[in-house]
Amino acid sequence: MCPVRELAIIGVGQTAYRRRHDCSTPELVSQAVTAALHDAGIPMQDVDIVTGGFAPDGLAGENCPDKRFLPAAGAVGRWSMRVNTGGTTGIAAAYAAMDLLAARYGDIAVAVGVERMAQAVNVPAVFNSIFDPVYERDTGLSTISMGALRAARMMMKWGYTPQVWAEVAARNYAHATRNPLAQITRPYTADEVLASRLLAWPIRQLDACPISEGVCAVVLAGAEVAQRGRAVAWVRGRASCTDTYNMGDRFDRADGDLVDLLSLHRATEKALGQAGLPSAAEADVVEIHAPFTHAETMAYAPLRFCAAEDGADLVRAGFGRWDSRPVINPSGGPQAANPVGATALVRLAECALQVRRAAGERQVPDAALAVATGQGGASQFSTCTVLTAA
Amino acid sequence: MAELTADQEPVPPLTIAGHWDFRYQYFAGDAASRFFHELGNGRIMGTLCPQCQRVLVPARGFCDACYVSTTDWRQVGDRGRLETFTILASRFPGLPDPPVVIGYVTLAGASTALLNFVLGLDLTDVEAAATRLLAQPAVEVRFRDQREGRITDFFFQLADA
Repeated sequence: MCPVRELAIIGVGQTAYRRRHDCSTPELVSQAVTAALHDAGIPMQDVDIVTGGFAPDGLAGENCPDKRFLPAAGAVGRWSMRVNTGGTTGIAAAYAAMDLLAARYGDIAVAVGVERMAQAVNVPAVFNSIFDPVYERDTGLSTISMGALRAARMMMKWGYTPQVWAEVAARNYAHATRNPLAQITRPYTADEVLASRLLAWPIRQLDACPISEGVCAVVLAGAEVAQRGRAVAWVRGRASCTDTYNMGDRFDRADGDLVDLLSLHRATEKALGQAGLPSAAEADVVEIHAPFTHAETMAYAPLRFCAAEDGADLVRAGFGRWDSRPVINPSGGPQAANPVGATALVRLAECALQVRRAAGERQVPDAALAVATGQGGASQFSTCTVLTAA
Repeated sequence: MAELTADQEPVPPLTIAGHWDFRYQYFAGDAASRFFHELGNGRIMGTLCPQCQRVLVPARGFCDACYVSTTDWRQVGDRGRLETFTILASRFPGLPDPPVVIGYVTLAGASTALLNFVLGLDLTDVEAAATRLLAQPAVEVRFRDQREGRITDFFFQLADA
């Protein structure tokens, strides 16, 4: 059997993540890709493959946006494809690029994640349209209430409280003050989180992500190319796993309850296994794809930080803060900026910046091992990626 | 002919109004068509997976865990357990007016839960209502008098209400 081709991230480019009325979608894409190529030190002529992800078309109001955004990412004259798996869209695009590189369809690939949701005048109504139109949409289900249904279940099963989640939010907002790309840069306190507007009990405004736009791009390469004297992030483990859409099928299920996040549990098991790690707690940095505070803590057990029922105590002990290891979300995470079609790729890009020691003010000192998660659909698409400096 | 140079005065970013309001008709399919038909008869029906023996409610034509077609139909009870809930508390255009409760309920004899409105609770104090619901009270199905073949043909209410 041929040895598996080693892959690395050799460049990262990101726009600032906020409402971007100043740029068209293709302009944002070209800015991020140009920055990523510059970071990698290569011209577009060297790129073989371009993959991209874009969140639900309805959020942007651009139907089949691949027609315009893939050429803006450099696809003209190259192998290209668009991937769409909800929140995991961005990382799915990166995995598609990695798969094509691993199969030697090329040596260098660009992967982009694109988000344009501020073009939607009524975002929650568009999010209602992502749910099953036959059995569930009439209930007014949205991404916020979908999250709230999980949060309430976590309170029932494991004793989580809004106070614990407010601590998570405060830590993420504190970290985001170091990140010039973040949308929310004010260090909201736990008390401010608890005093913010109730959206869907128990989720409050500051437990939730903002409406963010922007583009993340990474340049990926096979080992022979990657090793030409540049700081790279080696891909040491990656896995994807999918659960049923039906949230009602997951209560007290033998394999795992709705809030056990079975898909992330399994993706993490595989990715950590490939990297030879017992737990993501071994990492210097963990970027968790969680648009809500409760969702971050739902990932703790799948990441092998602790048993599910001990998550609240882990938060109270200060786990994940800046002066500890691992640092969770040194970027501030999706709570500080959540460009949906890009977010899962942002988690990967931020981890790559960390192990390449290129994260600027948000650099975790001597970071050498980083883990990124991706989460999408009805909390059903999960990914876990392990990156190292050497 | 005028030439534009890089040091031109900036122009304000332009926004072009648009809308995307196409109409659709969703094909409910074989299993859901029968499920909704039976709602008209005042019955909640599930389908049986011959492999894992789960009674899937709402009804589906196949079990996506075992990846086999469901076979028999089973009527399930009209009482069940509230698995989880949320109270929609902020108003968003196109979504139900707050405050309103939605929840997943596993009915007696069913292996899976279905989502619907939980009505009849006093929601003047949202925190108090939430505390009551966190205790996972028994709930029961109430059918509406007028049914149109939608999930909103019924709702849940607390069994002790």
